[in-house]
Amino acid sequence: MMAALRAAQEAAATTAAASAPMVRRAEAPDAVSPPAGGPDRPPVARLDGICKAFGPTRANDGVDLVVEAGEVLGLVGGNGAGKSTLMRILCGVTRADAGRITLSGFDIDLALYDTALAQAGGIRIVHQELSLCDNLSVAENFFLEAPEAARARPGWRRAYRVRARAALDEVFPGHGIGVDTAVGHLQIGQRQMVEIARAVAAPRVRLIILDEPTSSLGQERSQQLRAFIKARAARGLSFIFISHKLQEVVDIAHRVLVLRNGRPAWSGPAAEASVAALVNAMGGPTEGAMRRRRAGRPALPADAPERVRLSGPITAPLGRDVVLRAGEVVGLAGLEGSGQRDLLHRLFGRPGAGVSRAGAASFVSGDRQNEGVFPLWSVLGNIALGRLQNRAPLGLVSEREERVAARGAAERLKLDPARFDSPILDLSGGNQQKALVARALVGDAGTVLFDDPTRGVDVAAKEDFYALVGQIVRGKAGRPGRVVVWHSTEDIEFLECDRVLVFSGGRIVRELAGPEITEQAIVDASFAGAGAVERDGTAGQRGLGDLLVDLAPFASLAAVFALMASVNPMTVSLFGLELLLGPAIALVLVALAQMFVVGGSEIDLGVGAFAGLVNVVSATLLVETPWLGILALLAGVAAYGLIGATIQLRRIPAIVVTLGASFIWVGLGYTLQPTPGGASPEWLTAAFGWSLFGVPATLLLIAVAGLVALAVDRSPLGVVLRGFGNNAAAMTLGGWSPLRYAVIRYLVASLFAVAAGLALTAINTASDINAGGPFTLISVAAVVMGGCALIGGMVSPLGVVAGALTLALVGALLGALDVSTDYNAAVQGCLLLAMLVLRALADRRGAHR
Amino acid sequence: MSAHNPVTLRDWLERNRWVWSALGVLTLWAVLSVTTGRFSLHSLSGVAVSASFLTVVALGQMLVVTTGRGNIDLSIASVLTLSAYASIIVTAGQDARLPLALAAVLGIAAATGAVNALLVVVFRIPAIIATLATGYVLATGTVIANRFAAGFTVSPLLKLVAAGRVGGFPVILLVALVAVAAMGLLLQRSVYGRQLSAVGQNERAAALAGIRTGRIVASAFLASSCCAALTGMLLGAYVGGAFLEMGIPYLLQSLGAVVLGGSLIFGGASTALGTLFGALLLVLIVTTMQIAGLPAGTQDIVQGFVVIAVLALAGGRAVRRRKASPPPAAPAVAGS
Repeated sequence: MMAALRAAQEAAATTAAASAPMVRRAEAPDAVSPPAGGPDRPPVARLDGICKAFGPTRANDGVDLVVEAGEVLGLVGGNGAGKSTLMRILCGVTRADAGRITLSGFDIDLALYDTALAQAGGIRIVHQELSLCDNLSVAENFFLEAPEAARARPGWRRAYRVRARAALDEVFPGHGIGVDTAVGHLQIGQRQMVEIARAVAAPRVRLIILDEPTSSLGQERSQQLRAFIKARAARGLSFIFISHKLQEVVDIAHRVLVLRNGRPAWSGPAAEASVAALVNAMGGPTEGAMRRRRAGRPALPADAPERVRLSGPITAPLGRDVVLRAGEVVGLAGLEGSGQRDLLHRLFGRPGAGVSRAGAASFVSGDRQNEGVFPLWSVLGNIALGRLQNRAPLGLVSEREERVAARGAAERLKLDPARFDSPILDLSGGNQQKALVARALVGDAGTVLFDDPTRGVDVAAKEDFYALVGQIVRGKAGRPGRVVVWHSTEDIEFLECDRVLVFSGGRIVRELAGPEITEQAIVDASFAGAGAVERDGTAGQRGLGDLLVDLAPFASLAAVFALMASVNPMTVSLFGLELLLGPAIALVLVALAQMFVVGGSEIDLGVGAFAGLVNVVSATLLVETPWLGILALLAGVAAYGLIGATIQLRRIPAIVVTLGASFIWVGLGYTLQPTPGGASPEWLTAAFGWSLFGVPATLLLIAVAGLVALAVDRSPLGVVLRGFGNNAAAMTLGGWSPLRYAVIRYLVASLFAVAAGLALTAINTASDINAGGPFTLISVAAVVMGGCALIGGMVSPLGVVAGALTLALVGALLGALDVSTDYNAAVQGCLLLAMLVLRALADRRGAHR
Repeated sequence: MSAHNPVTLRDWLERNRWVWSALGVLTLWAVLSVTTGRFSLHSLSGVAVSASFLTVVALGQMLVVTTGRGNIDLSIASVLTLSAYASIIVTAGQDARLPLALAAVLGIAAATGAVNALLVVVFRIPAIIATLATGYVLATGTVIANRFAAGFTVSPLLKLVAAGRVGGFPVILLVALVAVAAMGLLLQRSVYGRQLSAVGQNERAAALAGIRTGRIVASAFLASSCCAALTGMLLGAYVGGAFLEMGIPYLLQSLGAVVLGGSLIFGGASTALGTLFGALLLVLIVTTMQIAGLPAGTQDIVQGFVVIAVLALAGGRAVRRRKASPPPAAPAVAGS
């Protein structure tokens, strides 16, 4: 530890010398810098000698960074240069191993620095990956950024509507975004605009980090943004502007910092920087080396076997089929999302119309975390999986044979076999990628598909990777080589390819071969065919279909009710209603409890049993010794909070914990009262026994329960809970405590469950620990019927009430039709499944649209 | 494990997680023998028989858990009960009708497993909800079957397998041990085992590595239903009848055995041996409570606590692993 610290300090010392000009300027800001920063004002943020290592990879190694008030700092560097890590450290998301953080002149203890402290220091970040909750409206997302102004009373959103509209108008005049629109209904560019406006509007904001802000903005919006940045910087706000579009950086920044392999490579005034100089400092691969490597590969033999044939609509602009042969490296270029990835996946999956492939294919993704590695396995296990393709499931695997085969592949890729037994995650990104390529080599695939394979890999590892592409395509004695199909997001990588297919709008618009391949030619071709490059659109209007889905729970309630009425006209009377719906109040309450848990994309398998336990407690303890009963109920609520905390802190599945808890509830109930019995406290019976203008209490209480849940859901608290259900990572980044809101979520749920248990006691005037059990499934069914999504974040209290009532009526309907109550569970189970299947089908259609 | 690599105790424990449950079994047994003084080998064989039934159910549950994404089979309680009824009704006490009963029981298992797999794989419905719902539908089946089950006569052959002994050694224990060995071989040494583990760790990566993930997940649900159904058949023969609640304890206990045994609840890594010891440990705990004269309610409470506590402890291990790993250099783009 000490050694590491010392090493870090030394590293800091050497780089401090390298970046001396920058430090000097920081001391005398009036030389180059911006108008607003007075000479005696400390920098808004200052990082000194920041070091951060992930396993063997040094993501940041002695980086210094200073941002003065009113300054725009351009931050550039290749993928994996350490920009993201540095910004995560500045925002308190990632903790630095060593270094110093000073905000507005205050030294911050590294160990205490977190997102909340960064926000207090006025730092906001706008990510490449959007951090909005797309189930919430634009205005509600503004609330998440600045909750201080919210009060738990009706109309609290008004202030945020005003704020959102003002901020959007200021940055993007004529934006055309409705502040009550759910973010999920906005286009990607519009979301980016909302996110930028939200950061700008945050109170006491002093530094805004924009990470690739213009990547999804059209030309006009991009210009608006840059004009805004200039204007606000002149008034004292600071920016860190990260972009791959180097020209933009040079235009807008006062100073530029270039990172390379986690170290500062160059730092100076933007006036001294040019695009060419920045590229040079970033240490990108040089065109010459790439061309030489390509030239070094043996020429394609005339009889090389055909591997892939593309025809039909995808090649229509070319007017001929495209044939890929063994031994070729073929690039898929074009603006991101123009159809390159689609083709890769079609080539890998079942080839269909227009895409045919001979022999097997293997896929190597640059998104190693999500699409590549198996984290529990060693390097060997990860490589050897490539040998299993198309083998019989009951065939045996032999570690010895795997080792031999893997060793062969590893040698070709210069991957050290001594590391075969290390866990795959202990390897650096570059070596992980090599292992994944080795996986493709140990199989017998004739087609190797690369999906941006050098993503997040450092420059040296990239060079290694390029060198081994030649190894992959080359055939071995007697065996034809492979074809490599390579999709990249870095145009320069295409210089490694023999041929490049340029995509636009889902079709191949140009084929470049050999010396024709230059970055300029690729860029020209990418834009040439694209009429609709402007990715800036208007909001998708909510159609009639969405409205119908929203109304479905109420429509089905009306339908079942009408059916009931036709079987038995008495249903329509108040008395009939009370008889039918009164007992449903417990179900309604349990369903509302379940709704809050489902809103956090979890499911509570113990909620029914808990209501049963409350039923027992209130019919026994609460009658005999009221204070003990109340204490027991409070303990139950506290236990629920504890369950929420356990699930959140230990990151264990809520299902298993709540299933375990259900046994505890039932066990407690049995212990308290081995056989059904007990009585209802008088006050409780009275609470459910009154009536208002002839309307019985139970019906009114159902309405009250629904309205209370609606109020909670619409309150600031409800918005935060829904935010966590939709995008917990973004909420945590925004400084919201996941633990606190997990506990609150379960506490709210438990209060509804307690009310359900009390209702059971009042209505049955007795208790039975088994009375609650069946409620668990029905509550889930009611929540699903009510229009809530099981993935969380979508909550609709009134829909849930309607769903619960529908399910209760279905039971009564079966009774009225002389169907045995034995079939109740089956009917409810089938209803739930039918609902889920319909929802799944609707979602699929929606996804196609 | 390679011979030329020095293996630290910690690594070895990490790879052989069944050791903890085995240690737990030994400790509890030793404590019981010393304190009660009458905890004989005979009562241990009683524990072994109970644990054998649980082991077979838990092996199926383990396969489902291994498929990851929080998959759990909640329908096993109903499958077990319904199979017990079906077996008893169809055999009507005659060995000759045993094949027919077997066909009926496996039919129940295949239908339930197939529906579960369809809902989970094709419609992408969370496994908990899908299996909870199919379980409810089947529960109605058991209520109806309960009306038909007039007599409780068991086929002698089935009785022999479920309750017989060969030289004092329970036949059912032999069955369970064979099942554990076969499952262990399947998980550790077969192509299927590798593919199952891959799907459990990273479904998307598995699909991109050419594994037919849908088939793997479906097979796990089918296997789980079959294990539960066969157990129901044998358990019915063992207790000499079927009753409505007979499957319910196996719901939590099967999960408990899997978790106690050291399989990861998030999937991807499972151990058949661990599940055996987990089942033994859980049954021992229940037996201990019975010997101590604790009421049924308390037994439920303790079981619930044990499962939550073990999960909370094991959950910590998973978290440490994740923290040790570097974060993605570029996090996944939403929706990709």
